[in-house]
Amino acid sequence: MKPAIWLALVAATLVLPWLPGLPLFWVSLACQIGISAIIAVGLVVLTGVAGMTSFAQASLMGISAYTTALITTKLGISPWLGLPAAMAVTLVVAFAIGSITLRLSGHYLALGTIAWSVSLYYLYANLDLVGRNDGLTGIPPLSLFGQKLIDIRFSAQIIGLSLIGGMIASLHLLDSRWGRAMRSLRGGAVAAASVGVDLGRARMLAFVFAALMAALAGWLFAHMQRVVNPTSFGLVAGIQYLLMAVMGGAAHLPGALLGATAVVLVNNSLQDWLPFLFGAGVSAETIVFGVALVLILQAAPAGLWPVIAPRLSRSHRVAETALTVQTMPKLGAVALRASGLQRRFGGLVAVADLSFTLYQGELLGLIGPNGAGKSTSFNLLSGADHPDAGRVELAGQDVTGCTPQMMARRGLARSFQHARLVPSLSVIENVALGAHLRGHASPLSAILRRDRDEEAHIYAEAARQLARCGLADLADHNATSLALGQQRIVEIARALAAGPSVLLLDEPAAGLRHGEKQSLAALLRQLRDEGMAILLVEHDMEFVMSLADNLVVMDFGTVIATGKPSDVRRNPAVIEAYLGGVA
Amino acid sequence: MDSSILLALIQDGIVSGAIYALLALALVLVFAVTRTILIPVGEVVSFAALTYANLDNGKPPAVLILLLGLGVAAFLRGAIFSRGRALIQLGVETLIVPGTIAFAATLLAPLQLGVAMNAVIAIAVVAPLCPLLYRLAFAPLAEASVLVLLIAAVGTHLAISGLGLLVFGPEGARGVPFSDAVVQLGPIIFPGQAICVLAATLCVMGGLWAFFRFTLAGAALRATAINRRGARLVGIPTENAGLQAFWLAGLIAAGSGVLIAPLTTVYYDGGFLIGLKGFVAAIVGGLASYPAAALAAILVGIVESFSSFWASAFKEVIVFAGIIPVLLWRSLRHVSVEDEE
Amino acid sequence: MLSRSRITLIAATFVAGFGASLAHADTIKVGITLSATGPAASLGIPERNSVPLFPKKIGNADVQYIVLDDGSDTGRAVANTRKLIDEDNVDLIIGSTVTPASLQMIPVVVEKKVPMIAAAASGAIIAPMDENKRWVFKVPQNDGLMADAITAHMAKAGIKTVGFIGFNDAYGDGWLAEFTRSATAKGITITTAEKYGRADTTVTGQILKIMATKPQAVLVAGSGTPAALPAKTLKERGYTGTMYQTHGVANAEFLKVGGKDVEGTYLPSGPFLVADQLPDSNPIKAVALDYTKQYEVVYGPGTVSTFGAHGMDTARLFGAAAPVALTHGKPGTPEFRAALRDALEGLRGLVVDHGVVNMSPTDHNGFDERARVMVQIVNGAWKLQP
Repeated sequence: MKPAIWLALVAATLVLPWLPGLPLFWVSLACQIGISAIIAVGLVVLTGVAGMTSFAQASLMGISAYTTALITTKLGISPWLGLPAAMAVTLVVAFAIGSITLRLSGHYLALGTIAWSVSLYYLYANLDLVGRNDGLTGIPPLSLFGQKLIDIRFSAQIIGLSLIGGMIASLHLLDSRWGRAMRSLRGGAVAAASVGVDLGRARMLAFVFAALMAALAGWLFAHMQRVVNPTSFGLVAGIQYLLMAVMGGAAHLPGALLGATAVVLVNNSLQDWLPFLFGAGVSAETIVFGVALVLILQAAPAGLWPVIAPRLSRSHRVAETALTVQTMPKLGAVALRASGLQRRFGGLVAVADLSFTLYQGELLGLIGPNGAGKSTSFNLLSGADHPDAGRVELAGQDVTGCTPQMMARRGLARSFQHARLVPSLSVIENVALGAHLRGHASPLSAILRRDRDEEAHIYAEAARQLARCGLADLADHNATSLALGQQRIVEIARALAAGPSVLLLDEPAAGLRHGEKQSLAALLRQLRDEGMAILLVEHDMEFVMSLADNLVVMDFGTVIATGKPSDVRRNPAVIEAYLGGVA
Repeated sequence: MDSSILLALIQDGIVSGAIYALLALALVLVFAVTRTILIPVGEVVSFAALTYANLDNGKPPAVLILLLGLGVAAFLRGAIFSRGRALIQLGVETLIVPGTIAFAATLLAPLQLGVAMNAVIAIAVVAPLCPLLYRLAFAPLAEASVLVLLIAAVGTHLAISGLGLLVFGPEGARGVPFSDAVVQLGPIIFPGQAICVLAATLCVMGGLWAFFRFTLAGAALRATAINRRGARLVGIPTENAGLQAFWLAGLIAAGSGVLIAPLTTVYYDGGFLIGLKGFVAAIVGGLASYPAAALAAILVGIVESFSSFWASAFKEVIVFAGIIPVLLWRSLRHVSVEDEE
Repeated sequence: MLSRSRITLIAATFVAGFGASLAHADTIKVGITLSATGPAASLGIPERNSVPLFPKKIGNADVQYIVLDDGSDTGRAVANTRKLIDEDNVDLIIGSTVTPASLQMIPVVVEKKVPMIAAAASGAIIAPMDENKRWVFKVPQNDGLMADAITAHMAKAGIKTVGFIGFNDAYGDGWLAEFTRSATAKGITITTAEKYGRADTTVTGQILKIMATKPQAVLVAGSGTPAALPAKTLKERGYTGTMYQTHGVANAEFLKVGGKDVEGTYLPSGPFLVADQLPDSNPIKAVALDYTKQYEVVYGPGTVSTFGAHGMDTARLFGAAAPVALTHGKPGTPEFRAALRDALEGLRGLVVDHGVVNMSPTDHNGFDERARVMVQIVNGAWKLQP
């Protein structure tokens, strides 16, 4: 969004609460909404974007609230200093919790956060330091120039500014190389790993960021309520915040505010209306709220925000120049060498013995009939799987047992047989994800927008690679809306954006029309001529025969022939393997 | 701690664990088939327990209103989309079956035919709530993400527990034990009810095993759980699979409720924590394997029992923080990077 | 109808800002937030049910009660308080049912200078008295008063060792603290202090621990029917010592659920519980029986409980203080609220359902020993102990 809009929002936040005649209660509702929305913003990043469900946000908020409450009441320190202290403590705790819990995947992670939430609640309730169940009272309000900001309208201003700050920070973070990395966690982690994204770091980043949002909310909460006790930080509260994010639209930042607004206002108006419907003696709020929640989700499973707002495509500043071209290793140098690779799955030997060498400036085809072990070999070479025996060398270094991330760092890039694009990123953003390792901006500099130049260069690079692959027109399309053949080409562009010296392609021509195959072949030849080492696993014989310099033919997990296409074509073992396979 | 205390704690843990195990089975079943984490399972337990306990007074169970109300709501909701035979089937399942159960329960309850009959009535009137909830809340969301289904489950839990307060009131109740007999095995005393719990748990597990192993419906359900799309391709009606899973879960949960009713005081909202611990067991068991979930449930029960002896104030901390290493161990066993939705 | 049209109110507030208060100058508005749902519902519902029995008119002024449910949730209690004060412009806040919620409501009423009468138990709500708590009053007896009754009874019965098991929440915490203080003073040893959850299905571990320490008596600090579980388990495990409960259990459901397992148990309670057994000379008897009669006319025989009486007592305090305050200012004004606070603090010798109130600047509960009796459960009924 433009700075002018933010400035207008800031001005509105400062002025609106003091509007004459505005009912004070509306202001206090706005405060409630604001604090919840700050937590929900964190949850959008953590759950909606990075795909990690957390029930523990209220507990993390508690850590911050207790920290600031303790140091302001026991040590008499200014509440303003409580903020950095609370943030710091929450950061440390979130980091500790994260390093234990974030290795959990899927439902384990969700349960892990439930476990933390319940545990922390009972810790708060049984520790004398934090006042056990009664909590801490007498927390000072914020003050400015000696004036205590007790009036709720001051709180509304501060909460509003905090929410705007949190929103801006989130937007900036999501629109950066780490933002793309976090988005990839949801449905594109394998692809991101293949271009060197440190997934563990991306997960931790999302978790810690969401925790800091909760910390901000906790600090505001503590000095607004001026009393804290464990009931505000339990599992039920944690569920409530998650519910707000999901109801508003967990994948969208404005959804956080919308969800918080909807939940708070619905709860409030139910109190007004229900006594008329059911009589005063019946407490039907939770019933009606629960039913309403289910109905809303049925009508809008992606949350309310996508219903009321059109999907906006994100625009990116593109620099004049792309990233500097990586220098390619010397032509003819050994790029990738496999020796005696073996991989067993239980009793099945998928790869029995695979050895070959790929040189810089060579286009090597790996072929074989169905079940020959091509895909397994491909995984062994790219680090997605590890051999039981044998050795993989990349540019002369032993990389056996290395992860895909480490392979990517050493200049290897790959595409996937079943295209793996990050669903929530556009085509050009998917390609920009490929350049992750070529950028250096930290999450903090992204939040502060110190990464703009680098980002512009990354997008220029992505645009360049897309143009090279002939997909420049589709840059702003939703990645998963493309035809499958085109998605594979996007994968090649993404791989190229990583600036690799070795490129592994898994059936890139499948699903392409004739003309598209021609352009792909031309592109691959050009890359080879630039000195890139390319390994092509392909089904389309005509395509690979016309393109490859050399071929490796596999059957039953072993190499049965190697050599120039023309020689291999006449090799009786190869003919036997293919014809036998057909018969 | 002497050995009699040790044995008593283990026994106590096993009995609680058996209940968690039953709920874990229900949760695993529902999750595997529909990807829904059935948080309202706790309410089903509470409602069955309260219904069983209240049947002593010889009045028709209060929960019948809920059963009929949800039935009518499910019919109205489904009637918009159904025609012909589907509409007839819907009518049978949402109106006729609950109506018949309600009629029978109203007739039988005042006769006071003993604890066994009361148990049957309680299960019969509460278990159908589960499939009705499926029709109302979850079937329309069959294609939604796990997270959305989870939040829908939270919504259902809120609504149902609110209704529970209206129907049952805030105070708890306790049921009559099935048997006052006490079995003495060496130094440990087994109250009859504890033996009933264990026996019933084993029966349900055995029954489920046989159901999945030997019946066509069981095989179809299993197939749906393993691969929904594949099951549909080979002609298994997967919509019905969800309904069946909820029926089974409803029966298991209502049965659990009746089992614990004589052991402890049950409240309209007390099932949540029991369900949560069943959920813990289900996840520790991997949300896929029934024996592992059952074993994990027993473990949770025993840990809980021992921690309430050693450090009762921190019991929940120990139980919940204790599962984190287990989760870590489980998730380290498959480290491969997977694309998750 | 307890709650009135908020649509008109919102419209009025929106159009005329604070004009609403001027339009209803001769109406005293009382905002009530109670826990009619959630974990404390068994206390909050009878409290709320008492509201229709509250006085409709004080002097010449009408009284309007606006009741909200906070679901035993702190956040909602605070939001309700703000709503009642900012939107409904109430002169008095009554509530909440639970201690944590009441504690969080205090900064709001202090900020707005509106007096508040809490229906929650913990002494922490009104003590130690400070600048903030000046605005806060509380009707249920302090835990300390009740704890003293128990330890006195124990001392008389020659009990030297006690095992404690209480809720793992503010109620259990408050009791443990007060009971420890009181027991230490009387030379009674607490052998072990265990905690359990309201919704726990088993307390075998805790009970085994308590029994291993061989106490002469066991005190269960829980409220409502959940307090029956430890008693049942103690009986099951063959415990033969004396059992004590707290005033939190004093309702009919507890007797029903506890059955023979709680037979013989001693507990302190407000005299309300056994009002019909009080001597006619006790002034509380008439007040308590009057409320009982009124309540049971509306809700049926046998439905009255001590919690509902706490609810009623909030109105009795208000009813006694408001006429004084009315002479100092018009309802809806800061003067009236301040006068109401002063009048509440000035209440002397007021007989309510649970005792006789003598407020002072340092004591905003105002009860003395007349507000508690020892009761034993005999044949499934409460029996006043001499």
